Amino acid sequence: MGTKKKELTLEEAFEILEETVSKLEAEDITLEDSFKEYKQGMEILKYCSDKIDKVEKKVLKIDENGETDEF
Amino acid sequence: MKQNVYTVAQVNSYIKNMFMQDFMLQSLFVKGEVSNCKYHSSGHIYFTLKDEKGTISCVMFAGNRSGLAFRMQEGQQVVVGGTVDVYERDGKYQLYAKQIVLDGAGLLYEKFEQLKAELEERGMFDSCYKQPLPRYIKTLGVVTASTGAAVRDIINIATRRNPYVQIVLYPAIVQGEQAALSIARGIRVLERFGVDVMIVGRGGGSIEDLWAFNEETVAQAIFDCSIPVISAVGHETDTTIADYVADLRAPTPSAAAELAVYEYWQYEEMLREYGSTLDRLLKNKLDLYRGYLENLGLKLKYLSPVNQIREKRTYALKLEEQMENAMEAALMRKRHLLEVYIERLKGLSPLDKLKQGFSYVSDEEGRTVSTIEAAETGKRLRVHVRNGIIFAKTLGKESVEWEQKRRN
Repeated sequence: MGTKKKELTLEEAFEILEETVSKLEAEDITLEDSFKEYKQGMEILKYCSDKIDKVEKKVLKIDENGETDEF
Repeated sequence: MKQNVYTVAQVNSYIKNMFMQDFMLQSLFVKGEVSNCKYHSSGHIYFTLKDEKGTISCVMFAGNRSGLAFRMQEGQQVVVGGTVDVYERDGKYQLYAKQIVLDGAGLLYEKFEQLKAELEERGMFDSCYKQPLPRYIKTLGVVTASTGAAVRDIINIATRRNPYVQIVLYPAIVQGEQAALSIARGIRVLERFGVDVMIVGRGGGSIEDLWAFNEETVAQAIFDCSIPVISAVGHETDTTIADYVADLRAPTPSAAAELAVYEYWQYEEMLREYGSTLDRLLKNKLDLYRGYLENLGLKLKYLSPVNQIREKRTYALKLEEQMENAMEAALMRKRHLLEVYIERLKGLSPLDKLKQGFSYVSDEEGRTVSTIEAAETGKRLRVHVRNGIIFAKTLGKESVEWEQKRRN
């Protein structure tokens, strides 16, 4: 999952993070895999925070034709 | 002129028969004001319905009491559903009530129940059609009036929880004739626009005010909507058809906003937590491996040839020391023995004997003269005494048995 898929939802991202955490928690994971999992986890975290555009939104009003206007 | 004469019973029976054949009288709703209402101990209820122009006596038998959901009181405007029939004994007709509801609200309630049953029958409330709400939304659609408490509550709560969610409002007419169509249109407009979740609702009001949300048009629009719909109509206690058909029912518009919009700060906190968990886990792993490494290093060091050489050298040094110690001990022992011999030899020294007055005699050649045979008369002898040698000449010899003499 190192390659970010555009369609990845935040729910899916969190699921992957959960998996990553439990893999890292496992005793028998190799050091190499640990790094791989960690790297992927960090990428997903970054993806999660990037996915939210932190711009406060104005409420929009929409009409029959789908035209929007500030409320 | 011959007139037929009938008994009272015949007439009443005839009239009763006429009533019974009348389709309308068999099932009708009559509205009016309640008066003379008596709850009889038998469970039957006797009352009169009246309006400005007349009255009709009514009875609800105990067996039909399930059709009455409230306590009837004088002066109430009600709608009574039942049958009009003749009570032959009194020659009176009366309304046999099967169902009594309050007027206005009552009728609407009737329609509500009817539509609810119908839609339920069609499966529109079935849980298999309920779409799950996405947890993390970016766009929230709202179909409600653009003025009033509902829209304000939704906007306030949604922005407080997450100012980064885009709210798109369809200002709908939520009350009156055009309301149902307006709401349904709003749902379709927002669906086309493409929001993640939509809230459809309005603030509290009377059952008439909320009525649009009980109309089939709205129900169908919600059902057909491919985007999850949260219904939020009136207060906690108001339940509408829209609530049944929606993917999720919120008790109030505020609650709907809470259900629809995730809390951004919580989300951020969660990201942070995941980050630190990942960090911690990797650090643990590294520490663990570092520990292994250290351990192995120690083992290796222990097994290294350098170490073995050092150990052997130490062993050799130890042996050397042991040897030296043993040697010294042996020497000591010998030296001691020597001293003992010296003491003993001292005891045996002839010089000591000379000191005591004994002397030692030898011939001129230095041979010890200890018997008379060793000395010949006229021969020179040397007598060793304490402080020198006396040169003597043998004058004669005589054998003496010293031992025997002593014995004598």
